[in-house]
Parts: sequence; C-alpha cells; structure tokens
Amino acid sequence: MLILLRRHASLVVIFLIAVTAGLATWHLRGTGAFMTALWHAWDLFLFIVPSLVAGLLLASALRQLLSPDALARWMGADSGLFGLFIATLVGTLSPGGPMAAFPLVLVLAGAGADKGALVAFILAWSLNGFQKLLVYEAPLLGLDFALLRTLITFPMPMIAGWLARRVPIAWEPPK
Amino acid sequence: MSGPQIILWVIALAVLALCIRRGVPQAKRAVVETNRGFWRILPMFCVALPMAAFLSELVPADIATEWLGDDSGLSGILIASLAGGVMPGGPFVTFPLVITFSKAGAGVAQMTALLTAWSVYAMHRILTWEYPVLGWRFVALRLASSFFLPVAAGLIMQALLPFFAINLAAP
Repeated sequence: MLILLRRHASLVVIFLIAVTAGLATWHLRGTGAFMTALWHAWDLFLFIVPSLVAGLLLASALRQLLSPDALARWMGADSGLFGLFIATLVGTLSPGGPMAAFPLVLVLAGAGADKGALVAFILAWSLNGFQKLLVYEAPLLGLDFALLRTLITFPMPMIAGWLARRVPIAWEPPK
Repeated sequence: MSGPQIILWVIALAVLALCIRRGVPQAKRAVVETNRGFWRILPMFCVALPMAAFLSELVPADIATEWLGDDSGLSGILIASLAGGVMPGGPFVTFPLVITFSKAGAGVAQMTALLTAWSVYAMHRILTWEYPVLGWRFVALRLASSFFLPVAAGLIMQALLPFFAINLAAP
C-alpha cells in the first residue's frame, strides 16, 4: 500500500507540472507550439517504446537467473578491491527500480556483504545500471555520450566503497 | 530501430533463451513480469514526456548557455550538480529534460555532472526509499564517501571533451 502511494505521489506531481507547463505553453506560445510539443512527446514515445520493452524483458529475464545471495559471499569486509569490483558489477547488472534495488541491499547485507561493498553496489546500480543506460541514455543522448560517461563513472562506485570502509560511520542492517 | 536498440533486443532475447534453457516456467515468469512492468511504467511516460516537451517550448533558446554552457566551467558544473541532486523523478523525466537543457545551450561536461548528481544525491530517492529501508546511518555513510563524484565526473568529462565530438542536442 505504501509502495502504491509513493509511486502515485510522483505521478501526481509530474502530472501537475505537465498540466501547468502545458497551459503556460498554450497561453504564452499559442496553440501551434502546444501541438508541436505534444507531437514531439509522441515522437519521443514511439522512439523509446522498443527499447523500453526490450529493457524490461532483459531485466525480468536476468532476475530469473541471478542469485545475489551466492554473490554476497565474495563481498565481505576483508574481500578487498576484488569484493568492491564484484559489488560494482552486481550493481551495474541489477535490473529494476528503487523498489527492487534497496531491498536487495538488505538481502546482500544478510548474506555477508560489508558496508563498503553495499555502498559500491547501490552506487553502481544508480550510476551505471545497464537498464537506464540501454533504455534511456544511449537512445536519447547518443551512444558516444553514453559510453564515454559510463567509462568515466564505472570505477566511481569502487572508489566510494573503498572510502566507505574507512569512514567512521558504523551501519547495521535494520531489524 | 537504431543500432543500440537492436543490440538491446539481441541481448534481451539471448538472456530469455538462457531462461528457457533453465526451464519454461522461468521464461514464462520473465514475460509476465515484462508485461506487468510495461503497464506500470506507461502512465509515467504519458505525463513525463509531454512535461519535458512543454518545458522545452517554454525555456528560452539560450538561457542555459550562460549558467550551464560549455564555457561555464567549474561553476557550471557545481550548479548542474546541485540541480541534478534535487531533480525528482525517474529516468523517463531526467533524460528528456537533459535534451531540453542541451537544446537551450547546456554543455556536455555540465550535463554529465547533472546526471551523476541525479544518481548520487537523488534527494527524492533518499526520502522515499533509502532512508525508510536502510536508515539514516547508511545515507550518511554513502554520501560521505560519494559526495564529490558528480563534480569529479564533470571535470573529467571536461578534460576529455576536446578529444571527442559529442553533441547532446542533435540526435
């Protein structure tokens, strides 16, 4: 129920912004510009849908195959850089939105991953998640930009995880 | 379909084939989940895409040039990092907005910082997911070890840009 409410909250906010912006466009720029904008939106929609469906299919198929539990064994407190690398890789490959990724942090923690690996995991998911990259970034902003940006940010979760192991903030998974 | 889209379909079908090899029920579940996910995300698209399109009509042509343009340098990267951090909504909101900003003159390094900040700071996601599920200590730990990443990503992109011809407003 709470999840439902959260999702609808952002839907309502974006809907209100869209209506306000739509009215402003119509009022300030005229009916022509209003229709042009709607046409652009429709165009973009048709452009994204094939990637969207493929991305969703890839995500749900991967979910049937991956077992985060087994991988967490490689992500313990003394797993070193290798553990951070595995955590980064798992995060990059983790499909789905926040409703899937954050509970997964708890699963990994329960299976033995340490705080550095968990920070690396969640940052890799949000920065370099393959779904976002393939469905949105590459089609919308161009493959060149998407690849170069990913190359720049790929090592960043490992750096953050390495730092997180040294930051004096203790964290225990909530019961 | 464009090149990246074809690659995406090939990978998706290959992983689905792996699912089928492991068992037909698994593959069926993958297809059912895909279908469910599509209908769940569709309403978002129906409001987010018109929103971005209207905003791009409203934003004057070169308003972003001064603050976020290629020549805005470090200050532009800092502003973009702040903007990215407070930007609400999922990728279906952010990426169309980045196109809007780019058409209005924003630079590639600045948009890199914005996208990185949107991933790293993500105020809305901290409030709705990270804090409720993992607690404040985790949020503090993660931010303490990653707060500098958006600015770093922007600066690295700026240093690399002369070697690559990238234009975000074109595709």
